[in-house]
Amino acid sequence: MQKQITEANLRLLIDSLLLKGQRVVGPRQSGTMVLYEPLASASDLVTDELPRRSIKEAFFPVCEDLLEYRKEGQQIELKDIDPARFPETVLFGVRPCDAAAVPVLDAVFSWDYKDQFFLARRAKTTIIGLACTTADDACFCTAVGLSPNDPKGSDLLLTPLVGGGFLVESQSEKGLSFLEAWKDRFSEPDDTKPLPLAQPAATPFDLKKIKAWLDDHFEDPAWDSIATRCVGCGACAFVCPACHCFDIVDEGSEKAGKRRKFWDACGFSKFTNHASGHNPRDLQPKRYRNRIMHKFKYYDDKFGQTLCTGCGRCIRVCPVGIDIAGVLEEIEKK
Amino acid sequence: MIQTIDISSYSVITDAIRSEARRILSDSTVSAVIGYTAGRRKGSTQPIVITTADEADKLLFSAACLNDLVVYLTKAKKDVPKSGRIGIVVKGCDLKAVIGLLGESQLKRENLYLIGIPCSGVLGSLLKPSAELTTKTIASKCCECTDRLPVGCDFVPAVTPAPLPDLEKRYANEISQLEAMTPSERWEFWKEQFSKCIKCYACRQVCPFCFCEQCLCDRNRPQMVEQTPRPSGNTAWHLVRAMHLAGRCAGCGECERVCPMDIPLNLLNRKMAKELKELFNSEAGFEVRDTGPLTSYREDDDQSFIR
Repeated sequence: MQKQITEANLRLLIDSLLLKGQRVVGPRQSGTMVLYEPLASASDLVTDELPRRSIKEAFFPVCEDLLEYRKEGQQIELKDIDPARFPETVLFGVRPCDAAAVPVLDAVFSWDYKDQFFLARRAKTTIIGLACTTADDACFCTAVGLSPNDPKGSDLLLTPLVGGGFLVESQSEKGLSFLEAWKDRFSEPDDTKPLPLAQPAATPFDLKKIKAWLDDHFEDPAWDSIATRCVGCGACAFVCPACHCFDIVDEGSEKAGKRRKFWDACGFSKFTNHASGHNPRDLQPKRYRNRIMHKFKYYDDKFGQTLCTGCGRCIRVCPVGIDIAGVLEEIEKK
Repeated sequence: MIQTIDISSYSVITDAIRSEARRILSDSTVSAVIGYTAGRRKGSTQPIVITTADEADKLLFSAACLNDLVVYLTKAKKDVPKSGRIGIVVKGCDLKAVIGLLGESQLKRENLYLIGIPCSGVLGSLLKPSAELTTKTIASKCCECTDRLPVGCDFVPAVTPAPLPDLEKRYANEISQLEAMTPSERWEFWKEQFSKCIKCYACRQVCPFCFCEQCLCDRNRPQMVEQTPRPSGNTAWHLVRAMHLAGRCAGCGECERVCPMDIPLNLLNRKMAKELKELFNSEAGFEVRDTGPLTSYREDDDQSFIR
């Protein structure tokens, strides 16, 4: 279904949701950065900047408690965190490269083990995407088969119109019921043209060709020349909308504490460190190889999708200028 | 008023680095040269390790050459060759890290071939690597730099950097703002800053002085510092790190530059450096010292702060 909404009505809609006690999350200024954070009012919403971190934390937070324990004498008390307490949430202004990563994450968090923490938040969240009209030189969604107005992952997709306002397209049942619930705020689409979409400079990669090379080149000198420079931090994985590795640790004392789940990264030297002390990925190029293999081979082998949406965040934050689009270009030429 | 900074010398420096790298690789003076090369995006650069003279033309120097390459010389970076003599491109700020590591017996001078850069400054961030170098885009560390001409290198291109326009002393301003706060305001300020940390450890991984093979903060049996990115563990991590670096930090500012969450980590380091200068008249420089200010004891050390 297609509808239209004015800028003013969109802001009124957000404020009405907030007045109803609904949790609304969107890009907002947070100190020196724009981050996806709960909005206090519609005026907080920032629509012209890609947030520093991705939308994945709406479902997969940086750190979350899984259970609490308490021990007194011989009595041990365990308290589970109840995912039913997670609030209903509307995500506004989600960039297509972020929204597209959500179905990618769905696949891995509901595969052999159903991650109730991820899935409970997912079920209670409506994603309202916003098409991009600007891109920078790190953006490459168009190179990995997506586009600045890709509907993948969005329940509703907003496309900015010439002269203000947005075209609204429903992409799911959730999207339709949202349109129905707030129908007074929307109008029928007229013939107002959409603003020209962003045009990332990147040309489409032949992902099949790249995967074919990866299939055969687990061992290759190219990994050294690409990734000897990698310093082994987790910045790329943490800002990535699709990276989803985590660690679990018990913190507290013998008497009381919590079990926590928090982001982990394959770039860390300890990531594959065995209890014996042996580390199969003993050098950094082997760790960076895993990052590329996971995104463009292993995930594809398992789920038939690419674990990269071309948001370009890893390119922007890499301390040593490793450019994943440049790496793919190099592999494609081989 | 924003003024452009003259970096016309950088193309001469690039040519000089290339021919010197070609020479020292051809005659086997060194087994490898660590320098900068161009990245995919316009104006971007990335570190590179070259081992043959044919690769010398890949090297360059520009205002986007921010990295402190000295990190690659440490034992923490096992992937970079350490055999034989290694050539490395250093700015004045990077050279101070070499000096610090020599003092800590982490490097041997005879194993290094230092290619020093007469520096006119670099950009503060690589978000827009093609940005012009101006009084606004220049890195904060460059604004207060007194070491544009590296000392004691094996090779320095024969250029004299153009004089710089007046630059705002951003660090000095930040430190005086910090010092003007009451202790509780200051605590609130750092609490808020540390709460942003996501424990990606980019600060640790780019630091030439974070070369511990087993970082205390990675230990989990027993856990010394909470590993999770939460306020308590974040605060412990950043304070432990600041204390471990006090008297050692060479001031390259890489920790602050690479922080994806904009935590002003170098403010912490600069404040520590200021205290050490005032208390022990000690600061990072171009002279190798056997002991640091916090690893030596003198009868006449200032004790007035012990109450």
